[in-house]
Amino acid sequence: MQITPLLNDGYAGEPAKRVLNYVQDHRQAGDPVVGIYCGYAPIELIQAMGIVPAVLCAFSKVPIAAAETVLPANLCPLIKSSYGFIIEGTCPFYAMSQAVIAETTCDGKKKMFELIADIKPTHVMDLPQVPDEAEARSNWKQMIVKLQGFLETHFDRQADEEKIEASLQAANRKNALMRRIFDYAARVPSVLHWKEMYDLSFLAIAATGQEMVPLLEPLPDILEQRVREGFHVGPPKAPRVLVTGCPVGGDATKIFNTIEVAGGVVVAPDACTGMKAFMGEFAENSGDPIGAMAERYLKIPCACMTPNERRLTDLSAMIGHFKPDAVIDFVLQACHAYNVESFKIGRHVEEVHGLPFLKIETDYSDADTEQLRTRIEALFESI
Amino acid sequence: MSEDYRSMWTDLGLDLVAHDALLSVLGQGYQDIYLSQKNRPEGMAYFDFVMSEVHGLRIKELLDEKAAGRKIVGSFCVFVPEELVLAANATLVGLCSGADFATEDVERLLPRNTCALIKSSFGFKLGKVCPYLESADMIVGENTCDGKKKAYESLGGLVNNLYVMDLPQVKSANGKALLKAEYQRFKAALEDLTGVAITKESLKDAIHTVNAKRAAIHRLSALRKADPAPISGLDALLANQVFFYDNPARFTESVNKICDELEKRIAAKQGVFPAKTPRILVSGCPQAVPNWKLPMIVEAAGAVIVGEESCVGERGTRHLTDASGETVEQMLDAIVDRHFQVDCAIFTPNPDRLEHIQQMVADYHADGVIHYGLQFCQPYLMESMPVEKALEDRQIPCLRIETDYSMEDVGQLKTRIEAFVEQLK
Amino acid sequence: MGQRYAGIDIGSRTIELVVVDETDAIIESQERDTGFDPMAEAKGMIEKVSFDRIMATGYGRNLFEISFDAMTVTEIKAHARGARALFPDIQAIIDIGGQDSKAIALFDNGRVKKFEMNDRCAAGTGKFLEIMARTLGFSIEDFGPEALLAENSLNISSMCTVFAESEVTSLIAKGENRREIALGLHASVIRRAAGMINRVSTDGEIAFTGGVANNPCMATLLSEKLGRPIRVPEHPQRIGALGAALLAREAD
Ligand code: SF4
Ligand code: SF4
Ligand code: SF4
Ligand code: SF4
Repeated sequence: MQITPLLNDGYAGEPAKRVLNYVQDHRQAGDPVVGIYCGYAPIELIQAMGIVPAVLCAFSKVPIAAAETVLPANLCPLIKSSYGFIIEGTCPFYAMSQAVIAETTCDGKKKMFELIADIKPTHVMDLPQVPDEAEARSNWKQMIVKLQGFLETHFDRQADEEKIEASLQAANRKNALMRRIFDYAARVPSVLHWKEMYDLSFLAIAATGQEMVPLLEPLPDILEQRVREGFHVGPPKAPRVLVTGCPVGGDATKIFNTIEVAGGVVVAPDACTGMKAFMGEFAENSGDPIGAMAERYLKIPCACMTPNERRLTDLSAMIGHFKPDAVIDFVLQACHAYNVESFKIGRHVEEVHGLPFLKIETDYSDADTEQLRTRIEALFESI
Repeated sequence: MSEDYRSMWTDLGLDLVAHDALLSVLGQGYQDIYLSQKNRPEGMAYFDFVMSEVHGLRIKELLDEKAAGRKIVGSFCVFVPEELVLAANATLVGLCSGADFATEDVERLLPRNTCALIKSSFGFKLGKVCPYLESADMIVGENTCDGKKKAYESLGGLVNNLYVMDLPQVKSANGKALLKAEYQRFKAALEDLTGVAITKESLKDAIHTVNAKRAAIHRLSALRKADPAPISGLDALLANQVFFYDNPARFTESVNKICDELEKRIAAKQGVFPAKTPRILVSGCPQAVPNWKLPMIVEAAGAVIVGEESCVGERGTRHLTDASGETVEQMLDAIVDRHFQVDCAIFTPNPDRLEHIQQMVADYHADGVIHYGLQFCQPYLMESMPVEKALEDRQIPCLRIETDYSMEDVGQLKTRIEAFVEQLK
Repeated sequence: MGQRYAGIDIGSRTIELVVVDETDAIIESQERDTGFDPMAEAKGMIEKVSFDRIMATGYGRNLFEISFDAMTVTEIKAHARGARALFPDIQAIIDIGGQDSKAIALFDNGRVKKFEMNDRCAAGTGKFLEIMARTLGFSIEDFGPEALLAENSLNISSMCTVFAESEVTSLIAKGENRREIALGLHASVIRRAAGMINRVSTDGEIAFTGGVANNPCMATLLSEKLGRPIRVPEHPQRIGALGAALLAREAD
């Protein structure tokens, strides 16, 4: 069946190139670029200041060998890859960035930032680890304010409250639209392919609400049409899979591919590279847009937080909405935070939702794809 | 050990069969590693006794304290301030995490690639073999590394008395304010536990007690600067380990007694090894009882360890708490100031640690540094390479090792350490 | 007859014995499999030669020390000494043996400046290559020469023996060229070895020792990868024993 692609811009299947093009255009127009690595980077503030946030490369196995000459081998591939890209000078986004925003999330990244701090100005945001602690919100707000100060001095760009508020409101609309699009994957059967979600998310993280909204608005119609035409992703009875855990991109998308090869359909990629970035809302017209931002960011259920009960409640909501037949927890090798937490996730999925659960611990290499496939097929057999 | 310990262990809920197995391994290990050493200071007899009674008499003492109304608090990290614990009429004990136990059960709850310290503390709990853990009225966890931070979430399901303390990751004004807020919460939790309010007097006493214990260790450390070294690295490590278990006053007295003896040895130019034996500083992850693997190999390879830049060692004990405060508030600030200086690798950035390592190399006349990293410990392994580089830039040889508690790699470690010692000669 | 000095390298797979005279010339050398009773094998070897002093190295050195009251030295220092004797200009040594691999950097005076060893697993050692050769159906002697005949190299991403084996099996199943897979496997070991060398030493000549140095593909790839001159001794597996023999002579 011939279907209308969602983004007909010649970058199909190459989300990184699309975003590169986006960043380059802005760069040429004179906008400064700042590199980010993590879902906690407050992109709405950065964008309100007229700065482009560029997600730095972290998803290829190629630079890992170079990184391993310096870093311990027992480190998550995302960190090794990021570092390798930097020391090999192969990340175009890093090359375009005039500074990098870092957060104290996991130990590995925290320490990796120390190693790159002398290459480019690196601003470390001290992220609370206990989001429900009394001081957490005000501490995080302070960190966002400090970031604003850093960006002001480095880039000579300003944003007043009004601009920040506008940026939040536009982001709310962007995120709501993204969620509306994701709803088409919640349909049984799904009419939205994971690659389309992935492509959209990639761009939507970097681009502003104001830019994304017109791009996203026509998409529900295209998807409606798919529904009318009876199109669906994969066989109609294919097992529906929710993938939670560490970020998935580039070489790590082998997990999505393998799920497909094994006969399943990815209906909910719940990670910082997927749906997580578009969840939740910023309180509008609160009179304190930075506070509103702090509030919403601390709700991200990242495993770096403790205790991270929110991940369980959010996961339950997603399971209710996307109706998966199985849940896969994707853990990058040596990521202690997600790895340790996986035990809780598995218990929750199995005991509360009665769904089959599989934890996959892997890296960016292809070495284990056959083994992964066997394990995923066995998971589907248990449905 | 006598029968009344067995009933005591049963009452504590220990698994006697597993516990017997642990004690026999521990006893044998101690025999082979410690008692076989030559030229030991006589004062070490005290520590031999402590070790032989580590699950016996000391536990009985703690239970007697409990019967008299004191509370026992167990901790896994030097960020838990003993001053506050003592002032609230409780006793602080460090919880063992230096041996593998019940590994299969542990790996059902924790990933295989978790550091040995964390796995060990779970193993002692799941295997029901740690009388300290079982007699504790409060177990304090702290948000340090990713592994521990997340593991406490699971430990919370295994024990009913876990208290988790948040810790800063950055040494900023905010970080310090967070530490203070956490210590205030901890103080309230302790007072709640014991029903005893911390007063100006009790806190001042507590600071003096803990400072005295630290000062005794400082004295011991200073004596290790001598060549020939008057005490083996193994024995000095043991003193640093017992620091976490023993009655503070008795510990202080015993260490000082050893120091008196060591001073005489130094005056007589006597040592445990000949003069000019290559001197090594160990830096990195904590070595908890009964993890004696590294010093055992190093000292068998013909070198002597003269210092530990570690939390079971100088990182944990080097600073005293200023006792001059006139109010609880002032003293609490002093406690915050004191602990905020601990240069654990979980902080970013952590330049003080590098300074301290170099300082120790100079102070203890070390010929080389062994960076001790527990496998999968990202904070210290990530720091190991910059540390190595900085040391080598200053012509200080450095050997990075990454290991765990198993004995599989002893052969390989021996080769590497012997080669390193050859390099220093 | 002048004094004779022996060095014995008791490795996990083979034992080598070298005897030198007072001018450091090699007058004897022997090699045999370690087998199940290394001390019995070692005894058999030393019985056949005469020497005035012996020094042992290799993982079995301590057993030998106890059984024969000999001096010992680590493989690191022995390799450093042996390789420098043959190649006075080298700055570093890469030694890849059956069960382990090491990179050693030297000071100008020949002393060990810094070294690294592989961690516990077989990755990056002769054992790895042996298992992979078997999986691909090559003899160990032909493995290197055959790999050199490949026109392209297939990327093998896994260094873990178990995973690499399944990766290779699936490449064979896909009908990929065996020589290209073989070349990819060699390249993956070289990547690791090069990483190790680069961590200890960044320029100058390198001696390549250990049994794996007999594999011509390894030496070729190593020099391509590092862009530094690589020297391979005639009997690369004997360098440890040679070094021990020289050190025995110098031990006074
Ligand atoms: S998983 Fe956590 S640390 Fe990683 S990008 Fe997301 S928020 Fe950041
Ligand atoms: S995947 Fe885990 S270890 Fe890797 S960067 Fe994210 S939180 Fe850190
Ligand atoms: S190394 Fe860090 S986490 Fe461990 S005991 Fe010391 S301060 Fe605590
Ligand atoms: S050794 Fe490292 S990983 Fe283990 S508990 Fe300490 S800081 Fe954490």
